[in-house]
Amino acid sequence: MELFLQTLVDGLLIGGLIIVIGVGFSLCFGVMHIIDFAVGEWVMLGAYTAFWMVRYLGRDPFLYLPVIFFLYLAIGYLIYPLIHRAVSGRRHNPALMGLVFTFGLASLIKGGALTAWGFHVRSVTTWLSGESLALGVAVVPALRFAGFAFGVLATVAFMLFLKWSKIGVAIRAMAQDRVMAELLGVDTNRVSALVYAMYTGLTGMAGVLIGALFSIHAGMGLKYTTFAFFVVVLAGMGYVPGVIPAAFLLGLLQSFVTVYVSGRYTLLAVFFVLYLTLLVRPRGLLGRGW
Amino acid sequence: MREDCLSRLNWGRGLFLILLVVSLLSLTVSPTTGAAPARDFFKVGVVTSLSGELAFGGNVTKRGYDMWADTVNQLGGIEIAGKRYRVQLIYADDQSTPATAAVAGERLITQEQVDFILGPYASGTTLALAPITEKYKVPHITGSAESPLIWQRKFKYTFGTIPPVSINAQAPIQTLAQDVSPKPQTIAILGIDDPFSKFAAEAFRTAAQKFGIKVVRYEIVPEGSDYTPAVSAAKAQNPDIFAIGSHEKAAIEMIKAAKELKFNPKAFVQHYGMTTPDFRKGLGKDAEYVFGASVWTANLNYKATILFTTPKEYAEKFKAKFGTEPDYTEAASTAAGIAFQEALRQIKATPPLDQAEKDALVAALEKLNIMTFYGPVKFATSGDYYHSNAGLQPIALQYQGGKLVEVGPGKLALAKPRYPTPPWDRR
Repeated sequence: MELFLQTLVDGLLIGGLIIVIGVGFSLCFGVMHIIDFAVGEWVMLGAYTAFWMVRYLGRDPFLYLPVIFFLYLAIGYLIYPLIHRAVSGRRHNPALMGLVFTFGLASLIKGGALTAWGFHVRSVTTWLSGESLALGVAVVPALRFAGFAFGVLATVAFMLFLKWSKIGVAIRAMAQDRVMAELLGVDTNRVSALVYAMYTGLTGMAGVLIGALFSIHAGMGLKYTTFAFFVVVLAGMGYVPGVIPAAFLLGLLQSFVTVYVSGRYTLLAVFFVLYLTLLVRPRGLLGRGW
Repeated sequence: MREDCLSRLNWGRGLFLILLVVSLLSLTVSPTTGAAPARDFFKVGVVTSLSGELAFGGNVTKRGYDMWADTVNQLGGIEIAGKRYRVQLIYADDQSTPATAAVAGERLITQEQVDFILGPYASGTTLALAPITEKYKVPHITGSAESPLIWQRKFKYTFGTIPPVSINAQAPIQTLAQDVSPKPQTIAILGIDDPFSKFAAEAFRTAAQKFGIKVVRYEIVPEGSDYTPAVSAAKAQNPDIFAIGSHEKAAIEMIKAAKELKFNPKAFVQHYGMTTPDFRKGLGKDAEYVFGASVWTANLNYKATILFTTPKEYAEKFKAKFGTEPDYTEAASTAAGIAFQEALRQIKATPPLDQAEKDALVAALEKLNIMTFYGPVKFATSGDYYHSNAGLQPIALQYQGGKLVEVGPGKLALAKPRYPTPPWDRR
């Protein structure tokens, strides 16, 4: 029973981390129809930024979360015009062009990080590292709980922003019908740049949490790119609220298969569910994607 | 839209594309049997992981190989029949994937026409490279790979300077079974699913069974997964020993997970990874008390004559060059170069090597029995560990006061093993 509860907690917390990465990715896909292959690279850059800031400025990496958010917000805003150029104009398959462009971007970032920062495996320590809370018989690692809370809060804040703010309305309008939104006076270019910037900012911030939990190295991104893809398929492509149940399902699946079946079958189980979803519910678990 | 796309691709462009493909194809089937152009230095191919998941380990081997080549070249080169021949290392990145290792090896052999090859960091990539060196009959020594799978395949052209993990990883378990009291009764083992780590985990299990420690959980998980559930499952068994079969990165992440879950076994055991500086830096004081295994440390008192006279001298020169202490993989990589150097000297072969000389080099390696700063290098010529180094004895290590010290087994100890490990908040 104790192990069962612990497995449940572990699974939910893994899900919480996946939410953090999935939300921005899903939004980026939903609004701009851009599959950003570099999502894991933003995680890696965020983690490295935290590492270097701690190295040179000291103090707790969590203090730098807002700085990292705005830094990657700015970087995303500056990069978006390039992506826009790649996917617009007289291209025959914009989605594919976006994929190719961001794939190239991912390779560049990864290679650049390896060259600039070397091959060492880095770690950052926060005041929450290694701490934990007791929840009945289960142990809840504090840092993972922070990640979980961050993921859920960020998603809720995002939802509220989309629902109530003017830009949020524009974003939703754009997601529904880009041409119509343009006709009604939405500056789709600016809105897209803003969405992309928010996505890179959020993902960069997630990198700090992930870097503190695991380890930081140039090749760490790919794993998170895979997770992001998975969760977006499960959630329903472009349906942001679907990310929450999808991420929890993914986390619980990993956790329970590892403990009660065998660690060897974790990825098998995960991909089996992915294929099954694509076959049976191609629009996602809740059937709300497209 | 699609027809439009096709019609745009006019004939001129089509022709250009066809020519491009043909010229690329002709590049890949360049001649392999032709004699290499004359040169007065040895071309040494190195295939290792310079990017990807194993980039850290790949660079560990690179430092070891560079240490050898630079030291040899400082002396003017390898002395063969009165003349000195310099060595030139030509690196090819295997990107941490076996398929790329095979392609990289093939390129070094067919295009760079290297004389011999120093092998990759990981066992998985080595297992992909070995059939290539076998196919082209090029001598290959790995200064790092430890999986017994390599030696069971009995590759004629592949050698290794580190004894197989199935022997090495037993040292810390033996130490815990014989040199501490009260003797630990139970062990939980967690391994990563790759040729090296899986065998490290298996060696922990074999040793535990041999020394009467009960295995309460044995689990293999895929690389890169979230290790928390697996660590939770091990914790639920409340074992005395928690053993991790992995490379450095997974070891760091699993120990972080153990701390977060307040999992406090009486001993943590790891094999490769805990000897690297990144492990200590990444975990800080949480690295304290972790047990591990090695086949070499700078404190051993070997007396040698080739390039370096003692382990201590090697360690000092290494530190002066790279700024970090060498671990056994770096030493073994340097020793791989020394093995080639001595075998070449014995057969008096000068660059470039022709096929007869390459075969003679393999024969000389099989007979080699030398004493180096790394210890004896003598390759087995029969049995399950065919062509792996049979001359070394594994040592159990433990982090004590931020330093790695030799704690066993038995008489090899320079300090007493610290056991049991105190709770996380009292380290």
